Amino acid sequence: MASIEAPARPRSSSAVKRAFERYPFLPALIILVVLIALNGWFQPRSLSLAGMTGLIKTYLALMLLAVAQTYVIYAGDIDLSAGAIVSLVNVVIVGVMAQWGGDGATIVAALAIGLATGLACGIVNGIVVAALRLQAIVATFATSIFFTGLALYIQPVAGTPAPTAFWRTYGGRILEIPFVFYVAVLFAILLVVLVRTRLSLRLLAVGDGQQEAYQSGLPVTAIRMGGYALCGVFAALAAFCITGDTASGDPLVGGKMTLFSIAAVVLGGSALAGGYGTVVGSVIGALIIGFINSLVFFVGTPSEWQNLVQGVAILLALMAGVLVGRRARA
Amino acid sequence: MSRLQLRGVGKSYGATKALRHADLDIEAGEVHVLMGSNGSGKSTLSKIVAGSVRPDTGEILLDGKPVSITGPQAARAVGIAIFYQELSLAAHRTVAENICLADLPSRSVFVDRTALEARAAKYIALFDGVTGDDFSPDAVVQDLRADQRQLVEIMKALAGEASVLIFDEATSALDRAQVERFFEILRDLKGQGRSIIFISHRMDEIFAIGDRATVIRDGEIVGSRRIAETTPAEIISMMVGAQEETAVAADAAPARPAGPPVLSVRGLSGPGFSDIGFEVRAGEILGFGGLHGQGQSAVLRALFGANPPTAGSVELGGKPLHPKNPRGTIRQGVAYVSGDRSRDGVVTGRPILENVMPIHYLRERMILASPSALAAKALPALQALRTKFAGLGHPISSLSGGNQQKVVIARWLIDRPAVLLLDDPTKGIDLSAKADLFSLIRRLAGEGMGIVLYASEDAELLDNADRILVFNGGAIRRELTGAARTRFNLYQAAYEAA
Repeated sequence: MASIEAPARPRSSSAVKRAFERYPFLPALIILVVLIALNGWFQPRSLSLAGMTGLIKTYLALMLLAVAQTYVIYAGDIDLSAGAIVSLVNVVIVGVMAQWGGDGATIVAALAIGLATGLACGIVNGIVVAALRLQAIVATFATSIFFTGLALYIQPVAGTPAPTAFWRTYGGRILEIPFVFYVAVLFAILLVVLVRTRLSLRLLAVGDGQQEAYQSGLPVTAIRMGGYALCGVFAALAAFCITGDTASGDPLVGGKMTLFSIAAVVLGGSALAGGYGTVVGSVIGALIIGFINSLVFFVGTPSEWQNLVQGVAILLALMAGVLVGRRARA
Repeated sequence: MSRLQLRGVGKSYGATKALRHADLDIEAGEVHVLMGSNGSGKSTLSKIVAGSVRPDTGEILLDGKPVSITGPQAARAVGIAIFYQELSLAAHRTVAENICLADLPSRSVFVDRTALEARAAKYIALFDGVTGDDFSPDAVVQDLRADQRQLVEIMKALAGEASVLIFDEATSALDRAQVERFFEILRDLKGQGRSIIFISHRMDEIFAIGDRATVIRDGEIVGSRRIAETTPAEIISMMVGAQEETAVAADAAPARPAGPPVLSVRGLSGPGFSDIGFEVRAGEILGFGGLHGQGQSAVLRALFGANPPTAGSVELGGKPLHPKNPRGTIRQGVAYVSGDRSRDGVVTGRPILENVMPIHYLRERMILASPSALAAKALPALQALRTKFAGLGHPISSLSGGNQQKVVIARWLIDRPAVLLLDDPTKGIDLSAKADLFSLIRRLAGEGMGIVLYASEDAELLDNADRILVFNGGAIRRELTGAARTRFNLYQAAYEAA
C-alpha cells in the first residue's frame, strides 16, 4: 500500500518530468523503440509486414494476458492462475468445436462458452481472494492448479486440432490486411473504452489503500472481484488468440505465460503494490518480451543459450526502465 | 428533536473498553465539539457514527428514527460524512478524483469526466486563494504538501453533501488563513442547518467555532457545556476529572543529583518537527508529552537515525552524533525501543535467544558466536526484566506482548547504552509488565543512564518523568518540572494554541 504520509517529492516544472509522471510507460516505450531498431538492424526483414504480422500473431495472447493481469494488479492483487485460465479456455473451445463440428456458428458458440469459462474462473478467484480474504498469491496459485486439473480432465493430452476455419481466419487476411491487425485495432479500442470506466478508476483507488477506500465508502470486495472477473475475460480472449496461433488444444499451453504476464506489467511501469499503472504499459511490456525473444533468435544465439540470454535481456530491460524513469522524474 | 442521537453506544477491543454506553445529542445547525485526551474515545465515537467501526451495543437515531449503519457506504447513504484524522485519500489519484471518489459521477459504466471536474471545482473553489501553489484539480495527491492533503480530505467530506459532518482533527496541518476559510465554510454549513461534530486539539479553535462541547474521558461521556457559558479551565478540569491526586507519584523534586548532560540536541528539524532543543542529564528521565503525533516519535526516530533529521546538531556524551542510520547511532551508544514491536522490534518466527542478541552482534562486530556464550549474556538481561519464558530456544511468538517487549528491551541491556529512547514502549502491554518495565527504567536511570520517554498515556509520564516537554505541532511548547507536573498543566499545554 502506498503511504500517503511519504514526504512529497520535489515538484518539477519541466515538461519532461511531467510527461514521465503522467505516462509511466514512457521508459518502456523507449526500450521498445530501441529493441525494434535492433531487430531491424540484425534482421531487416523482421520489420516487414510479414515479420510484424508474425510477431503480433504470436504475442497478441501475451499482450491480452498482460492486460488481464494489469486490472488485478491495479487493486494491489495478483493472479497466478491467469495462464491456467488460458489453458482451460483453450481446451474448452477446442473441445466444443470438435464436438459440434467446425462451422461458423459453432465457432461463435464455442467462443461464447470460452468467454463464460474465463469469466467464471475470474469470479472464482474473486471469491477466494476478495470475499474469503485469502492471500492473493497463494489462493490464485491454488486455483491455478485447480484450473489446470480441470483442463487436463477435459483433454488429457495435447493435440486435438482446432477446426481449419478457425485458425485459417486467425492467420489469414481480410481485404488484403492480415486478420490479426483487425484484432489488434479492436483490442486497442476496447482498452481505450475500459480506461474510461468507473471500475478502472475504482480498482486503482483500492490499490492505493484498501482501508482508505473502504472508509471512503467504496465497495472494496465487489471492486476487487470486478478486477478478477475482468482478468478472467481477458485471459479467455488471450486463449482465443493462442488457439488461433497454435491451431490445437493443449491443457498446459498457458502455464508458462503467467509469470511473463506479470513481468510485462512491471516492465510497463505499473506498480506491483497497486494504485499506479497503465494497460498501455502492459501491452508495451508484452511487446518488449516478444522483441527480446525474436532479437535473441536473430542475433544467432545458439539454441542452448537462448533461455539464458532471454533472461538476462529481460533483467536489463527492467533495470533500464527503472533507471530511465527515475532519472526523468528526479 | 435532535438531528443525531447516540443511545448507549459502546465498543470494546478485547478487554479495553474504548467507549462505554455513550449518550450524545447533536442538534441541527450546531458545531458540537468533542474533547478528551489521547485515547479517550473521540475517534472511536466518530468512526462508529461514520460506519467504519461497528459498535457492540447501543443505537443511533437520525432525526428521531433508528438507523442501521452497517458500513461507511451505509453512513454516506443516510447523510453522514467524515474527515478522517489519518486521511482516506488515494495517493496516486488526482485531487478531483479523490474529492468525488465515493460517489463517482458516471454515465452507465463510464466515469463522466466533465461532471467529475465540475463537481470537484465547486469544492476546490471554496478554498480559492488559500490552497497554495501547485494545487490544481489534476494534481496527484502524493505530490501535495500535508496541509494541501488535509484540504482535499475536507473537500471530500464536504462533497458528501451530508447532513451530519464529522471533522476529526481536520485543522492539525492547516495554516491560519486556511483555518479561517474552513471556519467560514463551517459557519455557512451551520446556517444551512447541518450538524457538525468537531474535534481539535487547539483550545482557541474550539472557542472560536464551537457551540457546545462534550468531554469524553476513558471512553465515558463526562458532560456537555455550552461554549458561551464555559472556560478553557473548566473544560480541562472536566477532562482531568478526579485523577489529579494520582498525578505526582514520582518524587516531587528530583532527589537524584543531576549528572552531566549525556544528550544535547540543538535546532533539530526534520519531517514532522522543527527547531527542537533539549538536554538529557545522566540519571534523568525526560518525558515527551502532548497529544498523539505532535512530533514526539518523529524526534526519537530522528535521533536514532531511522528517519535522519534535516538540520540541527546532536551531542552524545560531549561528542558529536550524526544520526544518519541506526547502525551508526547504535555503535555510539544510542538505544531505541518502539511501541510498535511487530514493525520495529521483534524478529518474528525466530527463537528468543536470537531476539536478544542482534544489538550485541552489531556493537561487538561479531561474526561467529557460540550459543552457550550468548546464552550466558542473554539470561541476566532477561532476568533483570523478570521476563517469563520457557526456554531461550522457543520462538518469540510464544510469548505475550509484554514479555516480547521485555525481550526487545533486554537486547539493549547487554552492552549498556548511554541514552535510551523509549517511543511509547508500553503500547498494548498488560499492567504487570508495564510496572516491571517502569521499575527497570527507573533503576537504569538511577545507574546513570539518560532516558527519553514518550508515552501516549499521560499517567505513565506523570508517574515516571522528572521533567516533561510538551509537544504541539512539531515543536516543544512548554516544559513542566517539579510540582508543575500535573495532569491539568499537561492537558493545558497540550491543548494550547500552536
